[in-house]
Amino acid sequence: MAEYLPQITQACFGLSYLIAFSLEVLRIRWPRSGLRYGGLLFGAAGLFTHTFYLLTRQPDLASPSGSLFAVSWVLAIFYLYGSWHHVRRAWAVFVLPVVLGLVWLGFMLSSQTVVGDTPSVPDWLIGNRFWGGVHGILLLLAAVGVSVGFLASIMYLFQAARLKKKANPRGRLNMLSLERLEAMNRRALNLAFPLLTLGLLLGAVLLKQYHGLAENWFSVKILGTVGLWLVFLVLLYARYAVNVPGRRLARLTLVAFGLLVVVLAAAHPFAGGMK
Amino acid sequence: MNLRTIGCNFRTAPVEVREKLAFNPAKQQWAVSEVAARYGAEVVLISTCNRVELYVARASDARGFDLDLGAEFLAECHGLNPAIVGEHLCEHVDSAAVRHLFRVTASLDSLIVGEGQIAGQVKQAFEFSRKLGTTGPLLNAAFQHALAAAKRVRTETGIAHGHISVSSVAVDYVRQVFDHFADKTVLVIGAGKMGRLTLKHLEELHPGRILVTNRSPEKAVEVAAGCGGKPVPWDMLDDALAESDIVLSTTGAGEPIMPRARFEAKVLPRRSGTMVILDIAVPRDFDPMIHDGDRVCLFNIDDLTRIREQTIVKRQRHIISAEAIIDAEVRRFADDWNRRRSGPVIGQLNAEVDKLRGEVLGQLMPKLNGKLSDTERKAIEYHFRLFQSKLLHGPIAALQEASREGQSGTLLEALKKLFRLE
Repeated sequence: MAEYLPQITQACFGLSYLIAFSLEVLRIRWPRSGLRYGGLLFGAAGLFTHTFYLLTRQPDLASPSGSLFAVSWVLAIFYLYGSWHHVRRAWAVFVLPVVLGLVWLGFMLSSQTVVGDTPSVPDWLIGNRFWGGVHGILLLLAAVGVSVGFLASIMYLFQAARLKKKANPRGRLNMLSLERLEAMNRRALNLAFPLLTLGLLLGAVLLKQYHGLAENWFSVKILGTVGLWLVFLVLLYARYAVNVPGRRLARLTLVAFGLLVVVLAAAHPFAGGMK
Repeated sequence: MNLRTIGCNFRTAPVEVREKLAFNPAKQQWAVSEVAARYGAEVVLISTCNRVELYVARASDARGFDLDLGAEFLAECHGLNPAIVGEHLCEHVDSAAVRHLFRVTASLDSLIVGEGQIAGQVKQAFEFSRKLGTTGPLLNAAFQHALAAAKRVRTETGIAHGHISVSSVAVDYVRQVFDHFADKTVLVIGAGKMGRLTLKHLEELHPGRILVTNRSPEKAVEVAAGCGGKPVPWDMLDDALAESDIVLSTTGAGEPIMPRARFEAKVLPRRSGTMVILDIAVPRDFDPMIHDGDRVCLFNIDDLTRIREQTIVKRQRHIISAEAIIDAEVRRFADDWNRRRSGPVIGQLNAEVDKLRGEVLGQLMPKLNGKLSDTERKAIEYHFRLFQSKLLHGPIAALQEASREGQSGTLLEALKKLFRLE
């Protein structure tokens, strides 16, 4: 089996997720347990190959495709966990498109980025690159938080639209309650904000110390991350200081996710990637 | 199979007649025992708000319990005129009676198709008679098979999907908004009958607090006492609304008690999070314009009724597949029952003729002793068995054929008499 692992490509897990998504869509029309287990099987196969891809290729997390594959991998775990636990809820049909979108974007950008070698010890752990690694992981976890908040917001908006239309509560799509989706969004963003702040501060220190060129400060990645942090500030203010309706908070979270995608897809000013 | 169903339901009798023919448990016990004793029959009586039906099974057709006798008996039970009772009764016989029982139990013959209560009521009626000892092989088999068929219909079709009571639909909507209820406050405005029913459903969610307000303080206290809630003065309605998560409004006010302007000025700014308002009053208590599906989710009686009707229409789509299941189960039951009934007779018949063959061979063989080789003796025994098989093939095939058609009764009796079977 070991000889096949290096042959795993993005297409393997991308197609697995796509088939899992198709089966989940079919399940909305024909709620059969076979479709559910089929979806879970392909989802698990996708996650398996995705994991081995990340382990064997070790793409640079600072590169656009590397960061996108890493974020989509965490979201794939989130999808499988949720699908297993929320048997009757429409879960995969919301999470898998985001996973697929990030994988597709990563795939599109991968041809333009440098994929790292496969050293036995990742080189960012050696010497002064350690703090660069911490910076990267903090921002990656913040990105996962934003993505989860985005998913909760999409589902919130969908559920709120159904309630506004007074759709049948026992319709084909069985959603989580507004309260639960709001709590999911709140927790994800509350967790992501300190991670984003720390990651951003650490990045600023590293940039000033080692790569303090003026042009670096104005790269899309850095400006986008600062913009994302500012959107977070507005989000927290709207949630805790002003009584803003859930629908508006959800829309603001969508903006934050849009900025996140731009940040992830943009080239890092000095750690490789698309220039 | 000598099974008859005699009774009335919502199609054959208006509610005034059904009310008069309804049985309480004491009367039901008397009626069931009386029919069983008078006619030597197995009896089950189903009495619900939509039907009163006697299921009577007898070993033979002699002194059959028919429609006229049924009308006389029901009239006697309730002190009514048999002719008037008879006008509202209907009868199903044998396999039609089985089919009727299966359809009733599967809720295909209900006022609201797919409603979940009837299977429980049928089971209760059957258990009632079984404990009284008025059921026997046929009704035991028929009712148990009916309950199993009903379960199949409910699980294999969508006939029981969704809720058809307005109160249940209201709770479904509440569950679309909230996930846990221990920290929620329910406000009950008014004291209408429908409101009390919905409140019962809401109480099952175990909300943290229930507030009750009413123009009449005495009524508020009464309703609050019934649900473990706290009465709130009517002039504090805005405050109560501001601190509530779920509002159940059911006043008899002639005009809206909460116009949009008042709600937006005095309630909305003082609260955060989503609020669900169940306005089941007619005329409506809340201005429908306050509904936005985010901060305020307002559902009035029209919304709830619309969902109820949608559910009923959806259920109608599953009737054909449900009827197909019932047809298959009725056939299976008839086959099983007839096999059960004719099987022992065929067994007895074979045993009886076996015995006769044995006796004849026993007389023949000593007379031929020493004149036959083993091969010849075996050939004679074989041809005797062959003769027996050919002789019985006709009657057994005819009996099996009649069993399949559900008409084996007369033939069974004839065979028993002809071959002197026990």
